[in-house]
This record gives sequence, structure tokens and C-alpha cells, in this order.
Amino acid sequence: MRAFAYERPAHLDAAVALLAEHGPDARLLAGGTDLIIRLRDGTIQPRLVVDLKGIAELDGEIREDDGVLTIGARTVMTDIAAHPRIRQDYQALAEAAAVVGSVQIRNRATLAGNICNASPAADTVPALLVYGARVVAAGPAGTRRIPIDDVLVRSGVTTMARDEIVTAIELPAPTARRGSVHVRRTRRRGHDLASVTLACVVDADGLTRLAYGSLGPRPVLVFDETGVLADAGSADLAKAQHLEALFVGASPSTLSMRASPDYRLAMLHVLGLRAARTAIERLAAGAARA
Amino acid sequence: MSEDGIGASPARVGGLDRVTGRQAYVADINVDDVLHAKLVSLDCARARIIAIDTSAALAVPGVRLAMTAADLPQPMPRFGPQFVDRPVLAVDETHYHGEPVAAIAAETKDGADEAAALVRVEYEELPAVFTVAGALDPAAPLVQDPSIRPGDPLATTNVLREHRYGWGDVDGARADVVVEGTYAFPMVTQFAIEPHAFIAAPDGDGIAVWSSIQHPNWLQKVIAGLLHLPLAKVRVFAPDPGGGFGGKQHAKYEPLVAFMALKAGRPVRLVLTLEETFQAVRRGAAEIRVRSGFSADGSIVFREVEANYLIGAYADIADRTVAKGTYTASGPYRVPAVRILARSILSHTTPSTAFRGFGNPQQIWAVESNMDEAARALGIDPLELRLKNLARHGETFIPGDTPADGDWAATVTRAAEMIGWGGAPAPGRGRGIAVGLKSGPTTGLSYSTVRLLADGSVIVHAGTSDMGQGARTIFAQIAAEELGAPLDWVTVVMGDTAVVPYDQQTSASRSSVLMGNSILNGCREVQAKLRTMAARLESVSEASVVVDRGEVRIGERVLPIRDVLIRGLGRLGGEVIGIGEMRKEADPDHPLGGTAAFFEFNCTAVEVEVDRATGDIVVVRHVTVSDVGKAMNPMQVRGQDEGAAIMGLGHTLMEHYIYDDAGRIRNLGAIDYRIPTSMDLPLVMASDIVENEDGPGPYGSKGMSEGALLCVAPAVAAAVRDATGVVIRDLPLTPERVWRALNEASKM
Amino acid sequence: MTMIRRIGVTVNGRPRSADVAPHHTLLEVLRDDLGLTGTKECCLVGECGACTVLVDDVCVDSCLILAVEADGATVTTVEGLAAGDRLDPIQEAFLETGAAQCGFCIPGQLVAAKALLALIPHPTRAEVEDGLAGNLCRCAGYGQIIDAVLVAAEAGAEGTGS
Repeated sequence: MRAFAYERPAHLDAAVALLAEHGPDARLLAGGTDLIIRLRDGTIQPRLVVDLKGIAELDGEIREDDGVLTIGARTVMTDIAAHPRIRQDYQALAEAAAVVGSVQIRNRATLAGNICNASPAADTVPALLVYGARVVAAGPAGTRRIPIDDVLVRSGVTTMARDEIVTAIELPAPTARRGSVHVRRTRRRGHDLASVTLACVVDADGLTRLAYGSLGPRPVLVFDETGVLADAGSADLAKAQHLEALFVGASPSTLSMRASPDYRLAMLHVLGLRAARTAIERLAAGAARA
Repeated sequence: MSEDGIGASPARVGGLDRVTGRQAYVADINVDDVLHAKLVSLDCARARIIAIDTSAALAVPGVRLAMTAADLPQPMPRFGPQFVDRPVLAVDETHYHGEPVAAIAAETKDGADEAAALVRVEYEELPAVFTVAGALDPAAPLVQDPSIRPGDPLATTNVLREHRYGWGDVDGARADVVVEGTYAFPMVTQFAIEPHAFIAAPDGDGIAVWSSIQHPNWLQKVIAGLLHLPLAKVRVFAPDPGGGFGGKQHAKYEPLVAFMALKAGRPVRLVLTLEETFQAVRRGAAEIRVRSGFSADGSIVFREVEANYLIGAYADIADRTVAKGTYTASGPYRVPAVRILARSILSHTTPSTAFRGFGNPQQIWAVESNMDEAARALGIDPLELRLKNLARHGETFIPGDTPADGDWAATVTRAAEMIGWGGAPAPGRGRGIAVGLKSGPTTGLSYSTVRLLADGSVIVHAGTSDMGQGARTIFAQIAAEELGAPLDWVTVVMGDTAVVPYDQQTSASRSSVLMGNSILNGCREVQAKLRTMAARLESVSEASVVVDRGEVRIGERVLPIRDVLIRGLGRLGGEVIGIGEMRKEADPDHPLGGTAAFFEFNCTAVEVEVDRATGDIVVVRHVTVSDVGKAMNPMQVRGQDEGAAIMGLGHTLMEHYIYDDAGRIRNLGAIDYRIPTSMDLPLVMASDIVENEDGPGPYGSKGMSEGALLCVAPAVAAAVRDATGVVIRDLPLTPERVWRALNEASKM
Repeated sequence: MTMIRRIGVTVNGRPRSADVAPHHTLLEVLRDDLGLTGTKECCLVGECGACTVLVDDVCVDSCLILAVEADGATVTTVEGLAAGDRLDPIQEAFLETGAAQCGFCIPGQLVAAKALLALIPHPTRAEVEDGLAGNLCRCAGYGQIIDAVLVAAEAGAEGTGS
């Protein structure tokens, strides 16, 4: 690994100032499970690494205020996967967090880091998309809230400025009863990078939101307002035709060695259908319990 | 006999160090004043080296040496277990992705890394071959210059060797049904969790080398030859390898590190990254055509095999894996007419070498898949087809070689029972069965010493490497059993050529049999001396004394060995020394240079569930049954068999090198080369053994450790075929490959 | 430009300090600076788990943590599992079931198992498979490793029951 300087600022403004001063030579370190791999293989060679873990304003807490669930920037996947409220109301996110890497990785990797790396295959991002999450970012001009869909650009690139730091992720309260699920395709059952990663929410009022990753430069959110996907009674064939239209924007890389484009596309449809089915079942099961 | 003796499963000898972190592997050894080495290689498969500029590297603080071919003796020293073809560093041309062209030695690892990145190599990338078809193309560039293949009629091709075996009249055989197919086996890597590590240090007027090596005595010979030193001046320390699987049999970078240490006048240490191990060792890929003829009742009437093994840029032991692996390609069957042609084909890829199964898993994948297809073509149950053709105990099935040395039908029948063969599997599921046979060592020479010390404790010296198979435990159990010592009174010393007598090698699942017998013979010598002692002490004739299995018996009287020993040694004490020797002589007329010491035989039966939409395979039940003769330590036998089975699932389901169009390995390292984790296990793994005490090893044991890997792939593929009707002839059976095959089948 | 920093870490109950470069991982510092070679180095990308240690009782890959990040932390390595000569029940269980073959992955497996049992004292087989999925074993002694964790859980149950 190439040598670099290390700073562990105690406050957000100090961190923002370091980023402003060093520009592209600085990199933020949260869990490090992605950053340190790239430092080792030399794909990034910063002169300064800014560790976020000393910042007083950032925490690893999950809080609820007025129905909004706020996940602190330092919250790790393990805690997200285990959180009772997330498991109940944002089940796809809990499931996605539970399959990020191994236990060791989940104990370090943060949700904020998963977003900021902007990997097309990031498992938690489709879930954040279907739940309409907002990213809270602090910069020199103060704090702003950005819908997750507006954050993602392409692999490794977000709309956030170099001197902005994610302080939290907010999940709006569910507006209706819903069932949701995260599913993925990997090369083995043990931890792996996804060749398709997909989250699906079906609302009691018939709206279905699907988001998928690993099939293009960034994860994509699509909606079905017709009620076809949410209808337990509609035939698989009808749903499949519907998905065909919804997934028209999927454009898997031809360069990946993890899966070929036609397999990814086919699996997107298989998973989409299966996810919708599971989400409907969960919605019904929730209704039965209620 | 000792309660931890033969047939018991005491805790592993060396286990305590393994669970406390005290076990010192090569990378854990601290040598004073050591320099850290880093390899320099080029990011291409093949290149002409124009110039190497090390000046910037040498300017890095703490860098002591930047070695290139120019710093080595001329002509470039070469080495290799079969052919003397591998240079210490690439000279003029690189031949595979990752071949080192230079190496740095520095005071710190950081300094070595930094300097290695600063070595400027001017080179011209050249066209490379990395497939069978590419290498056999008449216009293909030659991987090895004919000058290093003097007198070789194939030197102007990329075929390193052709091997032909056979008997009977294949062309004249009359078959009712002929089944033919071509099967592909991918490049896979050993992926020992311990990356290879090497240290060399000037040692008086000689050299000391530490290596995670399976064959320390062979390495000693290689280093002595390269450095023109007597064997006695080359001391090889071989700490227990952290997994070997064949990949650590032969010298890799020890010669380089030795030359560096001598040039620097200081110890030099090189620990490979996992990525570098992928570029250092792998299994040979293969494309194998099998054509088998059967009579209508299922009897095999002929078998023809044409096997093209894609080996790497240097032969290492790869050609031997081809020769030995395909020699048994007629299978454990009675086949009246056989024709086998096998080629080892050079390519611009990582030199392939030994890997658990030694050339057999490739041909067994092909031949056993062919058997499954034949069963369907004949309308005969795949189990019945095997049972009908299996050689019987004592039957010669390869002319001129060891007859079948086990009741193989019993093994197959046991596996079939355990999988519930015959009953219908649940919908969406299928079952497959296959057998695997591997020839054991064809030659061998193992010396040992057994020292019964004055208090009845024992020191055994044995040159085997304990790389996880548990050789140390087995050896201690034998000594404990024979000399009546508690197991924890036995010390087994290994891994130091200056102290431990010669052992040829740790390979071919030989050590329990060859070194085991050597130790048993050493114990017999000690027992003979005790017999003389007892006769003297008791004033009886030697003929009336029996010493065996830890006891001295004189008529009805039974004396503990320790009592006889203490009385017999008298006031001066001392010890009783036995020297063990075990030879398996060569046979110059045999195509492999010797007959099989034993055969490893395994039957694997699996039940799988296939998700037709995704191509996912779940192994619901995996049964593996091995004929081991006698399990000297059943717990270790289980560990080896189940471990081999799961390793076999790796190349069956997920493992393979992925190359780019220029012959570079794309999936170097652990992120994109997948091996099974604890979540990828069969839902149920059931292993069992057949013990008829009919092996040549101590107490009727046979070698084991490789058998359970041999036929995993054909068993799983047969089960997939049973579940889906689709035949797949390429490995690994990734979800995508299965999905594609199902799609294509549904279009037909 | 390397700026050496002094860090203080409590390793296996003992306060230690080391002068480390920011780009050195906790794994490197444990092995090279503190001489604790029980923790193993293999993939260096957080896939194999050979370098697993506990940092503040949390199971992590020490190859993916900078040593400077661990400043002030409590670190437990395989060397810290036994209390003097008394093995931890998980170590006893690994010996009993024959879980250690070549042994190279075992330090990481043991530490991961220790963390798993602290979290789930009575895991199911599936929970053990999941909990140890980050620790590759190429001897593939997974069956016996999982057995060992279940045996240790059983032993722990007996211990607390008395």
C-alpha cells in the first residue's frame, strides 16, 4: 500500500475543511471495507485519508423522529440488519444489509459508505431507492437532503461535492401497509458480489416499486402504478410482460466477468417476478397479523 | 496397545499449536537481519524484454538488491522436476502472466514494494497462446524455444509430450452401442490459505532455505544443483505447510531467493500474495474426448480416450500429471480393448502442477460422464452399469499393473444405499453416482528413525510434510501402538533436512503407507532389540519372546515394554534405536516407471435440486465412500474425505480462471475466484469408509486423501442430468452455464 | 511523507504501543510490530478471514483496518483466547472434533467462532454456517469446524447451567 497521511478530525467542520483543502488528494474513510482494498490495489492513491470515526456529530445510531427513521453515517450493516424497526418496516433494507459481505465485513461496512462508493452492485441501494430514502450531506454551505435517486450517477460517482460528507440517511415512514423484499444473484451461496441485486415493495394500495442494481452504470428505480404486479391474482405471464416494459432501461455491462448480459437480464426478470410474489405474500401476512 | 493407538481418533498431534496460534508457518518465522523481497512482473502473458532499468528502484532508501537475469550466472540456471526448463528469472522473454523478470530485496516490505513498482521494464508484448486450439494451431508461437528441448522430436510444436497406452483391439471390437463426447475441465488453482513463503540465508559455507514445501529433500537437491553445493551444505527447513494440495510439491521461487541471499550476503524473505500464488500454481485444464463401446448387456467392449491437457509455460510436474492421470483412464473397469492418447500442451499460462488428484479428476470427469451417458443410451441404471463392469478384487484390469486391490463393488453399493439409490427423488431433484480411481505412488523411498528413550518415550524422525493430512498424528499413533508409549510421549520430528533422514516426497497419498511402513519397520528393529534384551534379562531363548503392539510376551507372561527397557538399559540408560526404510522400487519397463503401490478408490453419489429458472444447483445430499483398507485415525479420515469432497465441489460448481483476450488472468485473488464457503456445503454430507484391511500400509491401510475429490464433478453433473434431462460437458456448472444449457434444451 | 504515529492498543489484555505508518494495517502491526503471528495473512481483501480478530469485541478482518484506526481499542487475537494454559472451550472443541487440519485458517475461525457464540450462545447449524462464512478453509474441514462450534456451545451451556 502506498503511504498517505491520516487525519481523524473531531468535528464535521474540520473534516469538511480538510476535504476542501485537499480536494481530489483526500479520501474519506468510514468502514474501510472498500477503501482499503482499493488503497492496496492502487486504484486510488490519495495523499490524505480522513477518518470519519472521530467526528462527534456522526454516530452509528438509528433514531426515529416523527416517523422518519434516521440512520447515522457510522451505522454498520450488522446493526441495520438486526434493527427491529428496520426488519419490520424496511425489510428489504434489513435483508440487503444482511448479505453484504461476511460477518466481518458487515461489522465494519457502513450504509453511508455503500452509497458513497456508488457501486452499481451495491446491495443496499435498491432498498433505499424503493423506500425513497434521503441522504443528508454536510458541506461548506451547510446541510442538505438529497433523494437517493438524485445522488447516484455511475460507478464511483455521485452528485455530492468532494467536500460534502454524508451525515445520515433518512427513511420516510411507510404511508401504507406494504410488503417488501430484497433478492440477489451471486455465484455461490456464501458472500459474493451480486450480478443482480433487486428490492421490491408492494403497497396495500397497489403501487409496486422495484429497484435493481448491477445492470447498468447505476441502480435504477421503476414503478408500477397499474396494480398488475401487486395483484396476487394476476398471472405470472401478465406480470412478466409488465416487467418487460419496466426493465427496458437495464443495460448490463458486456465487460463483467461475473455474469454475461443476457443472463443478468434474464435473472432480472426472474428475480423481479419472484420478488413481487414474495412482497405480496408478506403484505398479506402483515395484513393477517394486523 | 495404546488407547490412542491404531483405529482411535486422538486429537491431532500438533493440534494444540494450531488452536493457540503458536504453529509457526514460514511467514511467521523471524530470521534476524532479513531482507524483504518483492517480485516484478509484467502485465501481459508474453513479452520480449528489451531493457530493464533498476536505477530508480535502487535509489529507494533501504533497497539492497534489484536482481535481474543479468545478475545471475550465465547461461541462466534452470530447474524443474521433469524438465530443466524453468529459469530462475525470465530471460529475454516472459512466458506467462506473472512470470518474474526482476526481484527487489529491501530492509522493509514497504521499501521492497515501492522499489518493485519503480523497476522500469521496456518490453514488447508478443502474441500468446492460452487455449488448446490456440496452442495446437500450426501457426502458433512456440511457448518454449527448441533450444531448451534438445533432441526432442516435438520441440517445434507446443506439444511437450504424447503418452499412449492401450491393449486389445479397439478397431476390431464389436459394440452394440457406442457413446462419444468431449468434455472440458477448467483451469483451477490450489488456493492454499497459506500463500507460498520462502526464506534463504547464507549458512556458513552453505545455505539454509525455509520453504512451505511438500518435498524438502527434492528441494535440497534442486538448490544444491543450482548452487553447485554438496547436499550436506544445503539445509532445508520445511515447517508444516498451511495447505499444500500439490501446489507446494516442487521448487518455485526458492532458487531465486537463494541466489538473492547469496548475492546480498543476508537472509532474504519472499511471501507471495494470494494473487501471486494464482500466477505460480494451478491445475492443468483439459479437453478430453471419450468414445466407449458397449454390448447390449452393458459390458464395456472398448474405450478410446484422447486427452489434451493444457499445461503452462514450464513443465513443472505437469506432464507427469498427464501421464499418470490418463494412464488409468479406462477406469476401474474390465475393458478388453483400450486406446489412450494424452498430450501435455504448453501454453503461455501459469505453469500447472500437481493438485489433489494429480491429473485424474480431469479424465474421470470425462470418462464417468461418458458412463452416465452410456447408461442412458443402453437403458441400464447407472449404478448397475458400474457394478457390471467393475474389476473384482484381485482381477488385473490394467495389464502389467497391480490387480484391483479392494472390494470396489462394496464401496459402490454402500454409497448407493446411503443415497437411497433406486427410490424416486422428489420432483425437481435428481441423483447421480460416479466412481473414481487413482493410482498410488509408483516408486518411493522413505527412511525414518525410531528412538525409544530411556523412560519409554519415543522420538520419530520422518521427512514427510504434515500439510494438514495429519501424517504426524498417524506416525505417532504407529509408534505408540508398537512401542507401548502413551501418544503424548511420542515426538515426531519433521521438516529439517539436516536432522531428519531422507524421504522422497509427500505426494500421491503415500505417507501413511510408505513412511508409515518405514516407521513400522523402525519400530520392528527396536522391538527386535527389546526381544534380545528381554531374553537376556529373563534368561530365556529369544525364540520364546514376542515383542509386538507395545508388549513383551514370554509364554503366558506379558511385560510392559517400558519395564524391559528400563531394566535392559541398566544404569547407563541410553536408548534403543531403530532405523526404518521403505522402498517401492521402480520398474523400468512399466509405462509409468512402476506399478501402483495401491489404488485409491471412491464412490460419490449426490442428490441435487436444480432451480430451472436460475440454473442454481443445491447439493441436497452428498455421499462419499472411500476404500481406505484400514482407518488408522477415523476422525482424520473423515476430515480428509469430506474436505476433498468439498474441494471437488469447488471445481464442479464455481472455480475457474477467467482470461482476457490477451492471456491475462482477470480474476486474480479472492474476490472473483470463488471457492466454497461454509454456506456452500451440501445440505447433508455423509462420508463412510470401507475397511477390509487389504492395503499394503500398516495394519492393512491404503493411502487416502485424494479419492473423495476424484469423481465429484461427474456425480453432480449426472444428478443435474437426472433432474433436468440436460447433459453438460463443461465445468464448472455455474448457474449461468446450467441456465444456458436448459434454455438451449428447451429450444430443441 | 510517511508520518509515523504512536498508537496504544490493549492486545489480549496487555497494553501495547507501537509507532505505525498510517498505511499499515492492523494485521501488519500485529504480526510485524507486535510479534503476534497467530493472526494470518492470506487474501488481504476481506474475503478469507484468516486475519480475523476482535476489535472492541467485534469480529473484523484486520487486513481491512488501518492500525491507526485501532488506536485506543481493545484487540483480541487467537493468542488471547486461552487463559494461560487453560484453553478456551472453543479451542478444546476444535481439538476434540478434529477441526484443525493444516491449521492456517484456524486462528481466524476460532476468533470468529468466539464472536459468534458471544452473540448467539446456542446457534443452529445454519447460524454457524452463516457466522463463519467469512472464514475460508481450503482443507474444507467445514463439517468438523461447525461441529466444534456446536460442541463448544453445548459445553458453554453446561458451564452456565452449573
